[in-house]
Amino acid sequence: MPKIEITENLLTHFAGRKFSEKELEDISVVAKAEIDGRNEEEGLIKIELNDTNRPDLWSTPGLARQFRIFLNDKEYCYDFFSGGKETKKYGSRVITVDPGLKKIRPFITAFQADGHGVDEPLLLDLIQSQEKLCWNFGRKRSSIAMGIYRADLINFPVHFKAADPDLTGFIPLGGEKKMSLREITKKHPKGLEFGWIVAPFNKYPYLEDDSGNTLSFPPIINSAHLGAVKVGDSSLFIELTGTDLNSLLLASSIAACDLDDAGFTIKPVKVEYPYETAYGRNIVTPYYFQKPVVLDINYSNKLLGENLTVEETAEYIKKMGNSIAVKDNKIILKPPPYRNDFMHPVDIVEEIMIGRGMNSFKPVPPEDFTMGKLSSTEEFSRRVRDIMVGLGYQEMIYNYLGSRNEFVEKMNITGDDIIEIKNPMTENFEILRNSILPNLLNSESVSGNALYPHRIFETGKIAVIDSRENYGTSTKNYLSLLLSDREAGFNEVNSHISAVFFYLSMDYSLKEAEDPRFITGRCANIIFKGEVIGILGEISPQILENRGIEMPCTGAEIDLDFLIRTNS
Amino acid sequence: MDLESMVRGLHPLEIKVLLNFKGGEEITKNLLMERLSYNEGHCNQAFSWLTSKNLLKEKSRTRRFFYELTELGIKYQKEGTPEENILKLLSQEGPLTISAITKKLNLENRDVGSAYGKLSREGFLSMSEKKEISISKGSCGEKLKDLRNLLNKLFKSGRMPEESLRKEETEILKSLSRKRSSSRGVFKILEREDIIYTITEAGIKAKELLKASGITGDEIGAVTPEILKNGEWKNKRFRSYNINVPPLRVLLGRKNPYGEFLGKLKDKLSSLGFEEFDGPLVETEFWNSDALYMPQFHSARDIHDVYYVKNPSHAKEIEQPYLDQVAASHENGWKTGSRGWEYTFDRDFTRKLILRSHGTVLSAKTLTHAKVPGKYFGVVRCFRYDKVDATHLADFYQTEGIVLGENVNLKTLLGLLKMFAEEVAGAKEVRYVPGYFPFTEPSVEVHIKHPVLGWFELGGSGIFRPEVTEPLGIKVPVLAWGLGIDRMALMSLGLEDLRELFSNDIEQVRLRRRK
Repeated sequence: MPKIEITENLLTHFAGRKFSEKELEDISVVAKAEIDGRNEEEGLIKIELNDTNRPDLWSTPGLARQFRIFLNDKEYCYDFFSGGKETKKYGSRVITVDPGLKKIRPFITAFQADGHGVDEPLLLDLIQSQEKLCWNFGRKRSSIAMGIYRADLINFPVHFKAADPDLTGFIPLGGEKKMSLREITKKHPKGLEFGWIVAPFNKYPYLEDDSGNTLSFPPIINSAHLGAVKVGDSSLFIELTGTDLNSLLLASSIAACDLDDAGFTIKPVKVEYPYETAYGRNIVTPYYFQKPVVLDINYSNKLLGENLTVEETAEYIKKMGNSIAVKDNKIILKPPPYRNDFMHPVDIVEEIMIGRGMNSFKPVPPEDFTMGKLSSTEEFSRRVRDIMVGLGYQEMIYNYLGSRNEFVEKMNITGDDIIEIKNPMTENFEILRNSILPNLLNSESVSGNALYPHRIFETGKIAVIDSRENYGTSTKNYLSLLLSDREAGFNEVNSHISAVFFYLSMDYSLKEAEDPRFITGRCANIIFKGEVIGILGEISPQILENRGIEMPCTGAEIDLDFLIRTNS
Repeated sequence: MDLESMVRGLHPLEIKVLLNFKGGEEITKNLLMERLSYNEGHCNQAFSWLTSKNLLKEKSRTRRFFYELTELGIKYQKEGTPEENILKLLSQEGPLTISAITKKLNLENRDVGSAYGKLSREGFLSMSEKKEISISKGSCGEKLKDLRNLLNKLFKSGRMPEESLRKEETEILKSLSRKRSSSRGVFKILEREDIIYTITEAGIKAKELLKASGITGDEIGAVTPEILKNGEWKNKRFRSYNINVPPLRVLLGRKNPYGEFLGKLKDKLSSLGFEEFDGPLVETEFWNSDALYMPQFHSARDIHDVYYVKNPSHAKEIEQPYLDQVAASHENGWKTGSRGWEYTFDRDFTRKLILRSHGTVLSAKTLTHAKVPGKYFGVVRCFRYDKVDATHLADFYQTEGIVLGENVNLKTLLGLLKMFAEEVAGAKEVRYVPGYFPFTEPSVEVHIKHPVLGWFELGGSGIFRPEVTEPLGIKVPVLAWGLGIDRMALMSLGLEDLRELFSNDIEQVRLRRRK
């Protein structure tokens, strides 16, 4: 979930009013925002935005807009959008697109914003919201990347090209000498961070104006010349490139609305594609692409548990900044240009909920009678745990992730059935456990100072590779126990196992077994109804030495699922 | 400790000493042996315990010497000393060489040599030119007689105090006693200290208390099967114990307190009408996210958010018709009335195996066979690609569930949350705020004022989107909820670090208690 940092001054400016701490907390609800921290001295507020489908709220102007609409009950109109049959004037502001980009980075949207000089807080806010937008919504710039330039230096038309990475070059922002596109991906900090996006392609996206001056190497870095926006600049050119046209259109609409709110005049740009798009070959952006959504108020009333009239319902939806039309029991919602999160009428239901206020809904206890029940696994595990506790064992609860070293190497097994994680963060968590015994032995290795005897156990899940299963793996419920003492032997633990089976009203037998984890001749398989369901034995001194354990240990492990199946 | 409780805790060996001696009377070991038939060990115990309690005090201490026979002494007493035997042999056989004597008496050379030396110095023996030894005087001297007497006396009485012996006798004893370095002494000297005790003032008071309470020292120490059988206990009292002795630690079998906490939670939820669900640790992208209508390009579905399984990497197949229906709902909304996420659903990616990252997977899977009306829950292990610290774990428990019903709605959702806040968390104040989850709409977070922890977010909830429920065959609204119980678990166990919930340390777990 994105977190942003905004200045109180800027918020006051855009919202048109000041908020006390309490007021801010209350109004934040309408944006599903949480105040995460406040720096009174510097006038900074940290805000967490919970809705990942509302990127319009990730900037000060956007957040303030939602507050303002809610408090003032006023709809907003932006008049620079093309869309449908309407096309706004774009003058000479045209971008051409190279056909070679179709498979690399097919889409671009852009607009120009003219106004008074941009000041520092606004510039910082602009950069922050651009980063959040491209990182969280644009999947780390892979589907959306944004560039801001000094418009007065650009000579239209601008050309979006698929360029040769070695023959094309420019001075990147923050650099001093000319570098080829390939060099930028290998050496420039931004190239190292985002180079993976273009790495699979032979040609790289490249943006230059009609005079051959570089705008940028999207989605990586702007040029040091056209792409160095400074405090005081009054004419900005904003472009967004990416792989998903709707996301791009939405992102550029959000940026345009924010700059419009900041007092800039938005001037459209035409993009000429050499290939078909969902909105034709020529698109003038900012472009309104959203489609109306129809809500039947019977549906919203059913979900809300209320009996609101169509007028009341319409009122609450409007309060959130939506344009609507009413027809009988139906409400037709036209989403604001900066939003595209109405996928289903259910999304309007939430607008009603927030618009009306959470407190207006009175909790009703669930009425349907249903029978509560624990799972058969839980019921059975409880019986087993009670017996183990009666036998003097301490129940342990372990993590299910572990290292190969602990679960394979130190156990002297080959670990063919162990489930490995493809992307472990650390080697401490690189496998899913295939047995609980290594956990119990880990406890022994850190508990040499604890009063003996040690009797410990866990009932829990393990998982192993199992090619018979659809998932190629299977999860099982195990009981594992370990006794550690000066004279911790096979016979004592066998007595305990025998008590477990006796009180479960089940029978078992033992069959001599060879297992590298146990001492030969002191190890047996536990047999239940003819199947091997577990093992019992004195832990091999080699295993104990591997973990630095200096006290004899005897352990046992049983697959409880066999027993559960028989029981139920 | 006050005297009264001290008296109650006295051992019979102590009690009898106090009761059988008067104040001022001298008490010695021998007296205890005579009067109370104590053995030496009893005497020592009684003296040591009573003096440590300041009920007896030492009056005087005298050093005394005793003499005993050594093994060699006993042999001499029985078989004669070398001197006696040489004289006897020579008187029977006439003059003999030293080696002949040695051979005939089966003695060692040096014993014969030293015996000859002693006897010849006294003039009893003489040696001829042929090196033959013969008796020169008829009878043996006083010294030999004295030695024989001593050997016989000591053999008879075992041990003799120095004061019962004549001065000459003491000299012989000393000269033939084993020196510290030598093993060949005939006698050994023992040093003993005779200690005389008297009862202290506290002892006298203790004695009075004993008399007043009728304690005799003949009380029964332990209840045994024998005395229960023979009824011996009937006219006797039992010895009192010192109840202030610190109890010994017991190692007992115990449930893990975190497990108990989770168990109570499960009991609570099932008492509220919820049925528990369970499932595998390894899941598919399909059930973990796709079935929950999280688009495959969603930022939370990155390689850095879930753990992928290395081998096998994919499930063989995804159950139908769910695969087709879910795929369609992502692509175009299927029949749900949604426009969908408008992208091409990747049917290969959806089979990818991962470690389940949230319990909602099981809520989704339960929908395929759920009863209507129905309530379900699970407290299940989940895995996250997270850096582990005091507030984040890589594997942990999540508590989740669903409620299905023709008439469930936002208000019943709030009612459900209120019930959890009150019943599970014991909260009095509850606040609801709009939330966001990709799979619910509307979504509501519940914040509670916990009696100890103050305001915090107890859980997230919402009504499952139609894009989630309809492709899984459910036509009625479904309330979905999750509770964050970790903070309450830590508080209940008096812990501050989530990692400690899964501690390896046996002692830590043994000592952990629930509040």
